[in-house]
Amino acid sequence: MGVDFQSFIEGLTTAIQPMNLLWVLIGGFLGTVVGMLPGLGPATAVAVLIPITFGMDSTSALVLMAAIYYGAMYGGSRSSILLNTPGDGSAIAATFDGYPMTQQGRAGQALTISAIASLIGGTVAIIGFILLAKPLASFALDFGPAEYFLLLVFTLSAIVSLSKGNMVKGFISMSIGLLLSTVGIDLQTGVYRFTFDIPQLSEGIDFLVVIIGVYAVGEVLYNFLNIDDIKKEKSKVGKKGITREQWKSSKWPMFRQGPIGFLIGVLPGAGGSIASMLSYTTEQQLSKNPDKFGKGAIEGVAAPESSNNAASVGAFIPLLTMGIPGSGTTAVILGALIMLGLQPGPLLFENNPDTVWTLVNSMFIGNLFLVVINILLIGLLVRILDTPPKILYPLILVLAFIGTYTLSYSIIDFYILVIFGVIGVVMKLLKFPVAPLILGVIVGSDMEQNFRKSIVAHDNFINILFASPITITLLIMTVLSIAYPFIVEWVKKLKQGRA
Amino acid sequence: MARLIVPSFFITIGIVYLVLTFNLPRSRTGDPTAPLYFPLLIGGILVLFSIIYFVQEWRKRDEKFEAFKALFVGRTPFIIVSTLIMIFVYTFLFERIGFLFSTIIFLTALLFIVNGRKPWIKNILISVLFSVVFWYAFSELLNVSLP
Amino acid sequence: MKKYIGAILVLLAVFIAGCSDESSGSAQNFPNGNIEIIAPATPGGGWDATARAMQKIFDDEGLIEENINVSNKPGGGGEVGWQYLKNQDAHTISINSSLVITNNLLGQSDLTYEDFTPLGILSTEWISVAVPPDSSFGSGKEIMQQLKKDPTSLKIGVAPSLGNNDHLSFVQAAKEFGVDVSKLEFMVYESGGDVLTALLGGHVDVASMSVSESKEQHLAGELEILAVSSEERIEGLEEVKTWKEQGVDMVFPHWRGIMGPPDMTEEEIAYWDEKIGKMVESEAWQEVMKNNEWEPYYHNSEESKKFLAEQTEKYQELLQQAGLTE
Repeated sequence: MGVDFQSFIEGLTTAIQPMNLLWVLIGGFLGTVVGMLPGLGPATAVAVLIPITFGMDSTSALVLMAAIYYGAMYGGSRSSILLNTPGDGSAIAATFDGYPMTQQGRAGQALTISAIASLIGGTVAIIGFILLAKPLASFALDFGPAEYFLLLVFTLSAIVSLSKGNMVKGFISMSIGLLLSTVGIDLQTGVYRFTFDIPQLSEGIDFLVVIIGVYAVGEVLYNFLNIDDIKKEKSKVGKKGITREQWKSSKWPMFRQGPIGFLIGVLPGAGGSIASMLSYTTEQQLSKNPDKFGKGAIEGVAAPESSNNAASVGAFIPLLTMGIPGSGTTAVILGALIMLGLQPGPLLFENNPDTVWTLVNSMFIGNLFLVVINILLIGLLVRILDTPPKILYPLILVLAFIGTYTLSYSIIDFYILVIFGVIGVVMKLLKFPVAPLILGVIVGSDMEQNFRKSIVAHDNFINILFASPITITLLIMTVLSIAYPFIVEWVKKLKQGRA
Repeated sequence: MARLIVPSFFITIGIVYLVLTFNLPRSRTGDPTAPLYFPLLIGGILVLFSIIYFVQEWRKRDEKFEAFKALFVGRTPFIIVSTLIMIFVYTFLFERIGFLFSTIIFLTALLFIVNGRKPWIKNILISVLFSVVFWYAFSELLNVSLP
Repeated sequence: MKKYIGAILVLLAVFIAGCSDESSGSAQNFPNGNIEIIAPATPGGGWDATARAMQKIFDDEGLIEENINVSNKPGGGGEVGWQYLKNQDAHTISINSSLVITNNLLGQSDLTYEDFTPLGILSTEWISVAVPPDSSFGSGKEIMQQLKKDPTSLKIGVAPSLGNNDHLSFVQAAKEFGVDVSKLEFMVYESGGDVLTALLGGHVDVASMSVSESKEQHLAGELEILAVSSEERIEGLEEVKTWKEQGVDMVFPHWRGIMGPPDMTEEEIAYWDEKIGKMVESEAWQEVMKNNEWEPYYHNSEESKKFLAEQTEKYQELLQQAGLTE
C-alpha cells in the first residue's frame, strides 16, 4: 500500500483526539490488568466488552480493542516474572528468566526490561506495519499446510532443545502435550477421539486451562509444600533501573526479535506463544554464554517480550488487509467490528483509510502510554511480593478458578485445572521441563491437521519436507536446533582433547 | 526402586493411549484409519522415550530417590489433601449456590487451612472483600454471566 | 473456633435452601422472573451475537420489562447449552441452528428439536461457492461437471466440520448434478477465516462458505463467487447466479433460530411469539441483520415447527448421501 503521508497525518489527528486518547489509555490499562490475571486473557476481555462497544464509533472501538490486546502483552509478563504464573501462552517465555531474576531479588529490573522490550518490539512492528502490510499479507498466504506443519515442528524441536542435558524428559513432556491435543473431534473426519462421552471435551482441551493448571495452580500447590518455611524475608526487589551493561546485552536481542515476532504474528494461527518461545530459543543459541539462560539472564526476558508484543501488532495485518483473524483475540475483534458495521477486508484500506491510520497511530501512542504505566506500576506491583505467601497463594488459586470459568463457562474445566495443577507439581518435583508440554497442547492439533492436509496436497511425506524453499529452510533449522547442543558439546570435547 | 515408578507410569500411559487409539471409531469418509495415524505416532514416541528414561533411571537405581520427600514433611500432607478436597467442594457448590457465596466459602476455607486459625478475622475479611470485588466487577460491570 | 465453623455451615444451609426456593415459583403470570437467553457458544461468534442483540433490543425497545441475561454455555456444538435448557422453565430460551438436527442424526446427541419448543427462526445466511480469481472455472456448473468426471480432482475447503451447512450445501448441489458425492475430497478448516486464507493462498481449489465471509473479498476481486444458495440473487452480488439459475433445484439457508424448554404452555408460547415478532420488526434488528450480512428469515413458533420437520428430513438424506451416516 505504501505510505500515504496525508492519510497518515489524518490518522494521527484522529488518534490524538481526547476521546481516542482516553480509549487507548483505558484499553491499555485494562489490557495490562487482564493480562496479569491468570486465565483472563485479551480474548476474554475483548469479548466481554463487546456489548459496551455497541454504542461506540467503530474507529474508537477498534482503537480500544487493539489497546486491550497489546496492553495484555505488557501485563502478561508481570505475573510471569513476579509469581511464575503466566496468564497466557505468550507470557510463558517470560517465566524462564524473569522468575529466576525475581528470586535473585532483581524483580524491578526484570519488569523494567520487559516493558522496554515490549515498547521496542511494538515500535518495530508498527513501522513494519506501515511499510509492509500488503506484501506481508500475501507472504502469509504462501504459508500452506506443509509450511505450517514444519513451522510447528521447528517450534517444538526448539523448545525441546532448551531442556539441555535432559532431552529425554523434554520429549516425554512434549509427547504428553501432543497426546492431550488429540482429545476432541477430529476435524477432517468428524470422528470423536478420547472424549469419553463428555460433551465439553468434544472441542478439545483448552490450552489456556492447561497453562493455568500447570503454572498457576501448580505453582500454588508447589508453594504449599513448604509454606511454613517460606520466610517472610523482606523480599528484595532491587532497583528498577537497568545498568549500561544490561542494556548492551539486551539491546540486540530486543531489536532482532521484534521483526521475528512481527513476522510470526502476521501468519494466521501462529501468534504470540510461538513467537516468544522461538525468540527465546534463538537468543539462547546465539548467545555467547547460553548457560546463563534460565538462571536470570536479562536477555532471556528482553527477547520474548519484544517478540510477543510485535506479534500482537503483526496479527492485525491479516485481520485488516484480508478480514482473516490470525488469533483468538483478533477473531473476537473481527466479530465486534462486524457488529458495528465495519467490515475488515481487502476493501478496508480503500474505503476506510482513516480507520486504519487512526489505529496505527493509536498503537504507537498506546505503546508509549503503556511503558509509562507499566514502569510506574512496578512500585505497586512488587508490593505483591510483600504479601505474606500464606495469603497470596490462596488468592492466586481462587483467581485461577475464576479466570478459568470465564474461558468456557464450564465447571468441567475445574477438574481439568486441578488435574493439571497436580501434574504441574509432580513435574516440578521430578524436574521435568513444563514448556514442551504446554507447547505440545497449543500446537498439537494444528500440527496434525496441517500434516494431514499436506499429505493430501503433496501425496507423501518426503514431498512435504521439500515442498517449497520455506519448508526446506524450516527443515534445516529443525535439524540444527536438535543437533546444536550436541555439536556444542562435541566442539567442547574436541577443544579439551587438544588442550 | 522407587525411582522406577515414574518411568513405568509413563510407559503405562503410552500403552493405554495406544490401545485406546486402536479402538477409536473408524472414519466413514476417505481413509478409514486417518484419525489414528497421528495418535499412533505420538503414542510411539512417548513409549520410546519413556523406555529410554526407564533405562536411565535403572542405571541410577542405587542412588537415593528423594523427589517426593517434600510431600511428606510436617503440615504438608494435611494442606495438600484438604486443599484438594476444598477444590472439589468448590466445584460442587459453584453452580449450585452461585459464584459469590461459593467463592467466599472456598477462600475462607483455604485461608484457614494455610494461614491458620488465629488470624480468623483477617481471613474472613479478605475472603469476603476479594469475592465481592470480583463478583461486582464481573457480573455487574462487565456483564459476564456468572452463576 | 468451632462456633465459627458452625456459623458458616448454618449460613451455607440457608443459602442452599434459599436458592432451591426461588425456582419453584408459580407460572401464573408469565413472566415472573429474570429472563435468560442461552448462547450455546463462547462470546464472539454468531450465536453469541444473536443472543446479545436480542437482549439489547428487548431491553432498549422496552419489549420486556424483566431483567434479561445472556448465558454462554459452550460445548459439544450446542449440546451443553441445550442439555441445560431442557431442565429450565419458559423464562429460559436458547439460540439454535441446524446443529440441533444434525448432532442427533450424526449420533452425537440424543436431543432433537422435538425435545424442545421451537419459538421461531430468526435469520439466515446464504452459502456461496468461491474460487480464486485466476481459476479456470466460470460457473458453479463447470465445477460440478469437472467433479462428475473425477470427484477427487478438486480440493474443497469447508469449515468448521463435516456435516455442517457449508459442507452439506456443496454436497447437495453436487448430488443434483450426479456427482459421486461420497468420493469428494473435503479439506476441513477450523473457521471460515481459515478457509478463506487457504483459498486466497491457492491451497484449496474451491471453497464453500457463508456469503458474509466471501462477499467483501469478491467485491475486491480477491476471489470469485460462482454460485449462491439463495432463492433470489443477493443484494450487492447481483452478477452472481443462484444455484437455481444454474439448473439445480435447491435453496440452502444457514439459519439461526430460537427455542424454549419442553412442555411450554400455550400462554407462554404466545408470549414469546408476540415479543420475538415485535423484535424482528424493530429497526435495531434490521441494523443487526445488515451489519452481519444476515437476512431476515422470520418464522413464528407454529411455522418453525413445520420448518424444522422439513429440515430434519432434508439433513437426514444429505448426511446419508455424503456417507456420514448409514
